[in-house]
This record gives sequence, structure tokens and C-alpha cells, in this order.
Amino acid sequence: MSEVKWQASGLRVHQASDVTGDHLQLDADVVIVGSGAGGAVSAYELAKRGFKVVVLEAGPYVPSKDFTEKFTDSLDTLYQDHGSQSNSDGDLLVLQGACVGGSTVVNGCVCFRTPDFILQDWQRDFGLNELTAEELAPYFDEVEKNLAVHDNGEHEIPQHGRLIRAGAKRLGWSVKPLKRNIRQCGLTGHCLSGCKTERKQSMLVTYLPWAAAHGAQIYADTRVEKIVTHEGKASGVEATINRHDGTVAATLSVAAPRVILAAGAVQTPLLLLKSELGNRSGQVGKNFACHPSLYVPARYPEPVYPWRGAMLGVYVDEFMHPDKGGFVLEDGGAGLVELTMAAEPGTGKPFMDYMANAKYLAGLVTLIHDHNVGSIEWDGERKKINYQLSDVDFPSMQRALKAAARLHLAAGASEVYVPASDQRIIRSEADIDSQVDGLENQPQHLRMVSYHPQGTCRMGADPDHSVVAANGQSHDVPGLYVADASLLPTSIIVNPQITVYALATRIARHMA
Amino acid sequence: MKSQLQARRVSAIWQQGMARRRFLKWGLLGSAGVVAVTAGGFALLRRSPLDKQAAPAWAQGLSEAEYHLFNRARQVLLPVDGTALLPSEQVPVVQNVQTLLGHLHPLTRKEVAAGLGLFDNAAVLTRGSRFVDLNDNDARAYFDSWGRGNVVQRTLASVIKQLVYSAYWQDSATWPPTEFDGPVSDKWGLEYLGNAPLPDSVADGEARA
Repeated sequence: MSEVKWQASGLRVHQASDVTGDHLQLDADVVIVGSGAGGAVSAYELAKRGFKVVVLEAGPYVPSKDFTEKFTDSLDTLYQDHGSQSNSDGDLLVLQGACVGGSTVVNGCVCFRTPDFILQDWQRDFGLNELTAEELAPYFDEVEKNLAVHDNGEHEIPQHGRLIRAGAKRLGWSVKPLKRNIRQCGLTGHCLSGCKTERKQSMLVTYLPWAAAHGAQIYADTRVEKIVTHEGKASGVEATINRHDGTVAATLSVAAPRVILAAGAVQTPLLLLKSELGNRSGQVGKNFACHPSLYVPARYPEPVYPWRGAMLGVYVDEFMHPDKGGFVLEDGGAGLVELTMAAEPGTGKPFMDYMANAKYLAGLVTLIHDHNVGSIEWDGERKKINYQLSDVDFPSMQRALKAAARLHLAAGASEVYVPASDQRIIRSEADIDSQVDGLENQPQHLRMVSYHPQGTCRMGADPDHSVVAANGQSHDVPGLYVADASLLPTSIIVNPQITVYALATRIARHMA
Repeated sequence: MKSQLQARRVSAIWQQGMARRRFLKWGLLGSAGVVAVTAGGFALLRRSPLDKQAAPAWAQGLSEAEYHLFNRARQVLLPVDGTALLPSEQVPVVQNVQTLLGHLHPLTRKEVAAGLGLFDNAAVLTRGSRFVDLNDNDARAYFDSWGRGNVVQRTLASVIKQLVYSAYWQDSATWPPTEFDGPVSDKWGLEYLGNAPLPDSVADGEARA
């Protein structure tokens, strides 16, 4: 085994600016598409075991020191489609990282294990009998230790979290500190713009440098266009290395007997569809779910400064189980640009008053256990994310909204702003039903955001109804694996990063 | 004659109500979607005095009509009277909108252009003049009515608002009156922690396949 060369900061990454020739040809034991939660963990686990690993990331390498802590800049440089990726109807923003480290660079650090009742669903409905809580527990333990996952300490619960916690207690609702993967949180509130001082334990400062220490080669600016097979087995990929102006600097071929797709639940199925591989079941790109969430801001009598402190402090799990509602509420910080996107307090003066008094706002994020009703398609020119909140899920969204409003009011808010296209303001309990029940499940009525796309290459025991097996390998193409949130056969209600880390660890070790 | 034809065309669109599947596609910008007309833009239903005013030289990424639309939207959406907020004419709002639109896929950008033309011109049918020529109160009422309207109207109202709001509030000059802190890590002198140390050999690998 070669010498381990860990570096204290930064990352060795091949970039478009380094390219001199027109074509690069690489050989590897494993080529991994994507450098986020699934790709980075897979890279480390396999490189550590002596595999020659190449990681290809379509996005740029942006060192932490270059993060600006300005949300609009960050959308431009760190997010898929410069932050403008959405569903086909345009009313659901699908935010994913598109940089070395992927979404782990720009997430809110929130960590949940896969709920037991979700694993039971997977066992019952998808034949994933191996994926029990007992089987996965050691993997969860390990990734949580590696990533410094811990319950928020009292100093990590911001003012908006304290208000929400007090409101929940008044209502008698279960409220807990969130777990986060962070070391010595700087309390800047800029999680969504990347953690400039490297406290968030994203893949950029953990598994990727660890993989590189064990010899993994990481290529940024490199978009895989096609998966290559030989005699029915995975044999590598073809890619382009792209300059930041969009022009092609070079082409790249990687010959490898194992290909791991970890580009996320939108890009991974697109690559399979473009490659016309692994779709005997017809399920590639189907079953898209995304935890459509709402940010529900409310105005409080005293300053809250929603941009100060840790971005996320506490959560209400009173309604997590589907039998109790199937949703979670998390307190959420926000900066000015994010606040403009959240609510419709009125046009002109009402909006500017809302913003002028932004320091009095606190927000709640709603997450629902949505059904897998969407799909990802490639129309030959553009990807299409076909997703509309289903009529089955709309009542869950309304219940989550009502609970958020009740919670805000119990916490002392004077006005709760319904995140809709028209002006809806709740000032008392008596307003809640009328304002929320009047909402229609129509495109562009709710201002939804998704941070958790999932489900588009689902795991399952039955090759006729799933894309990959529980070990992540394609039912159709030996040597082709999926190791990202595409795997999840149902939505999991909670933030999925820990689930992906654990599954990717398990898949890599089975592969080894 | 051309205007009459265009007017009938717009009327027909509204009569189709939710006929977006035949007429409209959707794209996205920012937090909201962008509604767009697939088959090119509209000829102007009514001339505006603004049509004689050239857009600034920097506005190469916008049509002249788009420049005037966003400049008018800036005026009506961002009033600061009675507040300590920065007047919007001191912020490069329309330049920032241009930058945001520049990130769109070319096909989507073309569709957006048509959608913006629809928003501007449809006001002729309901309010007697194009959006860019409405007075402040009528322009705000037009936004509000579209915000309560059908899916096409809701989309366009949301998109234009989101673009203008983001373009204004992303500028750091707008932050002091709100006490928004903006970037803080360097200001606070936070130490860079660097990469996490390699996992220790005992814990790493406990869970074996």
C-alpha cells in the first residue's frame, strides 16, 4: 500500500486550468461520478483499501477560503445551474451543490439517521431485508464519529431556535436540539454559502482529503457524458473537461471495471438515461421525491436577527411519524436575499416594511414525507424535473403549515407570513384555517424549495421494479453502482446526508 | 391591424385559462419559475413613450423593452419613502437582473423574453396601457391582481418580483439599515480549521461488510 499523504488544508484537484492536451486517458480500479456525500465516502473507503480511485466532479473546485458568505455569489458559484434548478412548472427550486464536495458544502449540517419506520417500509415494500436498524447502526456510528456529529449545545441554539423551542414547550410538543456535523461552529449563519473557516464537516474537508491522502485522484470541471460497457459489464466513462466559460478544454476517458454513480438524484438518472443503461425495470428517473419544504417567516416583537448564530438549532418531531402527520419542523436562519424569497407580505410599501424590519423575523422550515410521484427526464436538449406536490401530499403540507403557524404564535409572533404567491398573513389562531385552507394545490401557489432530491434509481430486491440491489449494484450491468440519494426507495422525511454516508460506506465495503 | 391581431391573440390566451400545456412552458430563475411563451414574443400592443428611450450601453443582455420593464418594476416594487432604506436608483438593480438572466439556458432565456413581453402587454387589455406606463398604484395593483390570478399570472408576477428583490438586496449597500451583518468570518477573525484529521484506525472500519 502506498504512503498516506494527508494534507492539513486544501485539496489536490485537477482542474480545467491544468489541462494542456486535447484528450486524457486514465486507467483506474474504480471511477466515481460525483464528489458529494456518496462519491467522497466511496472514494475514501476504496482508496484506503488499495483501490486506484478516480473521482470526476462536474462542478468547480472552490477552496473554502474563497467562499464569500454572500448568498447570491454562492448560488452562482457553488450550486447546480447557478442556483436556478427547478421543476418543469418552475414553482419548486431544487437546490443542489455543484462543486467539489457537492451538496455537503452548502447544506445546513443537519444530521438524522434514517428513521426506523422508514427502514421497515423499505423491508416490507422493496424486499430490502438486509437494511435493518441493527445492520446500519455501526455505519451510522462510524460516519457520525468521523464527521463530529453532535447534539447542538446551548450556545449553538440561536435566538430563533430558542423562540421556537419555547413555543413548542408551551404547546406541549416534543422539541429537540438538532444534530449537526460541525466542529467549533463559528455561528456565522452562512451555512448555505459554504463554511468559510472549514468548521462544517463537509466532504471538502473530510472524506475527500482523506481519499486523496490514500491516493485518490480528483478531477473538477469534469462532466461525465456517457458510461461505457464491454460485454455487458461496466468498463469506464467518457467525459469532457470544461472551462468556466463553458467551452471544452479536453475530453477524458477513464477505463475502469467499476463505475460508481454518485452525482445526485437528478444527474445520476440523467447519465443512465443518456447512456441507455441499467433501465430494464423502466424505473430510472422515476419515483422522484424531494421533501418539498416551505420557509415560514414570522414577525416577533423583539429583534431576532435571523441571520445570527447557527443556522439551525432545534426541531419539532411531534408529527414525524406518518400516523401523526408525517412532517418535521426545524427552526431556520436566513439572510436578506433568502427572506425576500420566502413570503409575499404585499407589493411595494408592505414588502419594504417587511424587509426594513427583517431583524424581527424568525423562520420555520417544514419538511414533509412526500410520495415518489416525480420523474427526471432528458428531452435531448434539457433535463426536466417533473414534480408537482401530489394531492395526497397537499394535506400534509397544509398540516405542516398550520402547525408552523401555531408554533410561531405560541412563541409570541405577531404575524405569520404564509409562503404563497398571494398575500396571506396570520395574526391569530382564528386566522390559521381560513388562510391555509384557502390554498390550492396548483402550480405557483406555494413557494417551495427542495434540498433533498431522492429516489430516482431506487434500491430493491426485485429487478423488475428497482434499478439497483441493496449493495448498490445495478440489476442489469455488473460493475455499475449507485451510491447517492437516488437509491432511497421512499422519501425519508428527514435530512438525508447521514443516510447517504452510511449507505455509501456499506456499498463500498461490499464492493471491496 | 397588427395590434388588433395581437390583442385578439392575447385575449385568446386568457380564454384558454390554464392552457399552459399548449401554450406555455416553464423554466426557472431564482426561487420562482419563469413562465414563458414558446413561440416567440409579442409585438407591442401599444406604443410607450419609453420606447423612444434607448437602454443604457451596459444592457446588452436585455432587450430595450426588458430594460424598461425591469426599471419600472424597480421603481414600483422598491419604494423607500418613510424608511431608512437605500433608494433603489442607487443600486444597480437592473444590471443585477441582467446578470441573473444571463445564467439561464438559452432556450429558457428566449422563453422568458416572451413571458416578459406578455406581462408588459397584457396590461393594455385590463388597464388600458402597458405595464411600463402604469402609475405606481396601478402598477402595484397589477402585480397584486396577477399574484391572485391564474397560474400564468402568478408565475410572472412572482418571477419579476423575485428578480428585482434579489437584485436589490444582494447589494451590500442595502444592508446597513436592516442591521444585516453580511460576511463575518474575516471580520471576526475566525481561525481556519483546515481539513479534519484522518479517522483513527480503531473506529475506522468497525463496520465491516
